[in-house]
Amino acid sequence: MAVIEREAQIVNPLGMHVRPGAEFVKVANKFKSAVEVRNADVAVNGKSILGMMTLAAECGSSITIKTDGDDAEAAMNALLELVAAGFYEMHLKSGDEETP
Amino acid sequence: MSERQLKGIGVSPGIGVGRVVVVRWALPEVPHRVVSRTQVEKEVRRLRAAIKDVRRHFTELRARAVERAGVDAARIFDAQILMLEDREFIGAVAELIRENHLTAEKAFEFKTLEVRDLWTAAGNPLLKERLADVTGVAIRVIQHLMHRGAEDVWDGISQPSIVVAKELSPGLTVQLDREYVVGLISEEGTRTSHAAILAHSIGIPAVFGLRNAVERVRAAKTVILDGTRGTVLLDPTPEERAEAQRSEALRGEMTARLEEAVTQPSVTLDGTHIALRGNVDLPAEIAAAKAYGAEGVGLLRTEFLLTGHSTLPSEDEQATYFRRVADAFPGHPVVVRTYDLGGDKFPAPFRTAPEPNPALGWRAIRVCLDEPAMFRTQIRAILRAATRAPIHLMIPLVTRLDEVERTRVFVAEEAEALKKAGIEAAMSVPVGVMVETPAAAVMADRLTEIADFLSVGTNDLTQYTLVVDRGNARLADRFTPHDPSVLRLLKLVAAFLLIGLGYETLSVAPPALPLIKWLIRQVTTERARAAADAALAARSAELALDILRFSLKEAVDLSLLDPDARLPAGRRSGSLKA
Repeated sequence: MAVIEREAQIVNPLGMHVRPGAEFVKVANKFKSAVEVRNADVAVNGKSILGMMTLAAECGSSITIKTDGDDAEAAMNALLELVAAGFYEMHLKSGDEETP
Repeated sequence: MSERQLKGIGVSPGIGVGRVVVVRWALPEVPHRVVSRTQVEKEVRRLRAAIKDVRRHFTELRARAVERAGVDAARIFDAQILMLEDREFIGAVAELIRENHLTAEKAFEFKTLEVRDLWTAAGNPLLKERLADVTGVAIRVIQHLMHRGAEDVWDGISQPSIVVAKELSPGLTVQLDREYVVGLISEEGTRTSHAAILAHSIGIPAVFGLRNAVERVRAAKTVILDGTRGTVLLDPTPEERAEAQRSEALRGEMTARLEEAVTQPSVTLDGTHIALRGNVDLPAEIAAAKAYGAEGVGLLRTEFLLTGHSTLPSEDEQATYFRRVADAFPGHPVVVRTYDLGGDKFPAPFRTAPEPNPALGWRAIRVCLDEPAMFRTQIRAILRAATRAPIHLMIPLVTRLDEVERTRVFVAEEAEALKKAGIEAAMSVPVGVMVETPAAAVMADRLTEIADFLSVGTNDLTQYTLVVDRGNARLADRFTPHDPSVLRLLKLVAAFLLIGLGYETLSVAPPALPLIKWLIRQVTTERARAAADAALAARSAELALDILRFSLKEAVDLSLLDPDARLPAGRRSGSLKA
């Protein structure tokens, strides 16, 4: 059993909205370990879409990820990679549809 | 008159005229009932069975959305499907049943309202908007548990109707019948609401964010909805209806003309061919550029290769992508712009402390020259892809001649190294300059001596000339690519506006291609040149625009262009051979 805690920065311009939250939950649920995510004073279950949506972390903010279980390290690596990659939507910007 | 005109947010363009149908879409009243201790586990089983059925329903909706609105828009349903797999949430509902002996529907309602309260209290507008998604799931689950026929609100609509609701869910929107539902009005929601995105993809005009819409619209017999302007006109007079139909017909005619233009050649009335190329940011746009008739790619952005990845893309990966694009446009050039990184667009390996002034900071060619390993990899990929297709290399944000010279040295060195290593690659490629700074524009005569072509990036050139950040809403009316100062720089570069100034190639975002071609086909080079000369002499951007509009009016039926639409100004770049 291992408990790991790491900080990660949200880098995609739109922040942790629905789609990134869904991606996060999908990855977290591939592992047995419990996943907790904190942003400021809010802590949620990283395997729950409603929890992750509540978090609403904006671009530039830091979240703390805690994984707890036999595959804690693998889960942490996968989640950190997803966050660092901007949930694969770095190209999306707020107000994209506004540009002429 | 004014009380009849309501204003909301236009979220899906087009005009709809029809009678008013008010749709009640809200959580049903759930009676408060407790179950006996022995019934508790039965309630939990009922809950799980209902969730399974509803999950299947949302999977079907998702498939329907793929068909009607495309793969991207369909992903909107992913979050709703995940909610039905959310063990924490469903576990909490089951716990509530067990602890308080509630019915499954009451417990589900209770937990849903808890989420609503939490999200409303958070004060985050985006979160508030997503409530429609949660409510959509909850309504369906509760209706299922209460054995109610679900979401049959669209039944019974059998003539052209405008649907008015407090709130619309994506599930409802994707199911509606386009034949009879000619417009949507919602009190809640903005352009980024999931229901709005779907309405837009399916092509139903919609106005959202209209306060007290149900109450204000209910009494009207018919309304005209304008999803482009975001307005709703109650009980229109016959004249107003005729006017709405007229402008709808004009739009229809314009659409037909533009469809026609796609397959027609890009020539002016006097027979001058203007090559029209597409700007491609993402692989998905290759097909769009082709479909809109692009003659090659005038600006292939390469940043997407980096974003979303924690490592730099390999030479092979890049070469494969460049070949793929080139193969889509056989016989036409593909202009690869080298990495335009900077500011917010940095990949993880190069991320540094935020700059106070990213637009004037370490970006584009400056980064590439300082990170030669990254730059050389990209140059090698371009050389390798250029063996079977006319691929050009274009350098962004040039301000100094030596940036071009140093790039040329890199290209020559890498071509030599590839040859030595026996790797199939071109010995050279045309190297061009993207003129998007005043510095490059005034040095155009010197740049033509060392570059194979110049291409103007009008957005950045406008931003740097007028010192206006195009992302700053307070400055929106100052971002004027037709400002005489910008036009004079364009003339310097061409040493002769776009066609009128002697540009022979234009490259725009793919959806703008048909409109640009339609315009090209209605002017002569002589008229374009005269209009450009007059605009160059104007004292202000407003006057320059008036001059251009006026001279266009004689040649082009401007009534066909949307009265609100300006000439497409976004993402335009023009090229000329040196």
